[in-house]
Amino acid sequence: MIKKRQKRGEILVENIIFLLLNVLFLTILIIFLINQGNGVSTLEDAYSKEIALLIDSARPGMQMTVNMQSALGVANKNGVPFDQVVLVKGQYVTITLDQGKSKSYQFFNNINVTGYYPEKDNSGKYNGFYFFTFSKKT
Amino acid sequence: MRRQIGKKGDKLISVYWFAILVIVAVGIVLMVNAFYGNPYDVRQVEAGILADNAANCIYYGGQVNPLLFSTEGVFRPDFRDNFMKICSLNFSVEGEFTQVPYYLEVNFSNGVGNFANSFGIMEGNSNLRPDCNINVANNQNLAQCINKEFFMKTSSGTIYTVKILAVVSKVSENTNG
Repeated sequence: MIKKRQKRGEILVENIIFLLLNVLFLTILIIFLINQGNGVSTLEDAYSKEIALLIDSARPGMQMTVNMQSALGVANKNGVPFDQVVLVKGQYVTITLDQGKSKSYQFFNNINVTGYYPEKDNSGKYNGFYFFTFSKKT
Repeated sequence: MRRQIGKKGDKLISVYWFAILVIVAVGIVLMVNAFYGNPYDVRQVEAGILADNAANCIYYGGQVNPLLFSTEGVFRPDFRDNFMKICSLNFSVEGEFTQVPYYLEVNFSNGVGNFANSFGIMEGNSNLRPDCNINVANNQNLAQCINKEFFMKTSSGTIYTVKILAVVSKVSENTNG
């Protein structure tokens, strides 16, 4: 009788460990996949190109809002102020989502990016959107 | 004895199960790395926007750019000379030895189906042009080209065929090569 009980207990423990390891494996895999998609390098590359192409398509007088909510979390995590994530200088857009790391992409439209700043919600916190205004270069 | 074999079999299955998990994990990691490791290639879109900008500058809303023709109805050479400024384009790059990653060519021919060019504009890095004539399966490491063509009717009723070739290189920014 005692033997039987011990045996059942062993099977249960083995199964639980087996299940836990499987869950652990899946969790690690999912975390890895999420981290890859929201990686600094991937986001910097995507946003620099997206904004450069938007500037290329822009016409004087236009206003644009870019959804950068994915970048907001990453910038906060890496200690980069959200209002310093986007830099438009010369014919280049530079995105910085980590200290000392950034990615630039060139645009060809000779337009004046009059203003670009992150939008804030009613509570004064950044909502993850960047606002751009354009005017004719004189 | 029977039970012992069964237990060993269970353990053996567990080992194989984890071996399969490891193989699956390695496969997924390699695939994800291959996917996210490659930067987004936006050169075709970029070349398309460049060609559209040039087209809109020449002929927009059924109206020919008034700076393109003289009062006598002939092409003005100063339109070609100031094309970049007139059309709000700027191909300037940072760095002394950095090559211009853009090339733009606009050809006007009189009438429809006439291949003799009446007027032509070329801007940017002309060294990129030969890349458009190379037909290879994997052309990611070459400059990307877009050809656009439209008809333009002037106020005097003359019809011109306008052919635009826009080329964008930027290989290092858009590929792993």
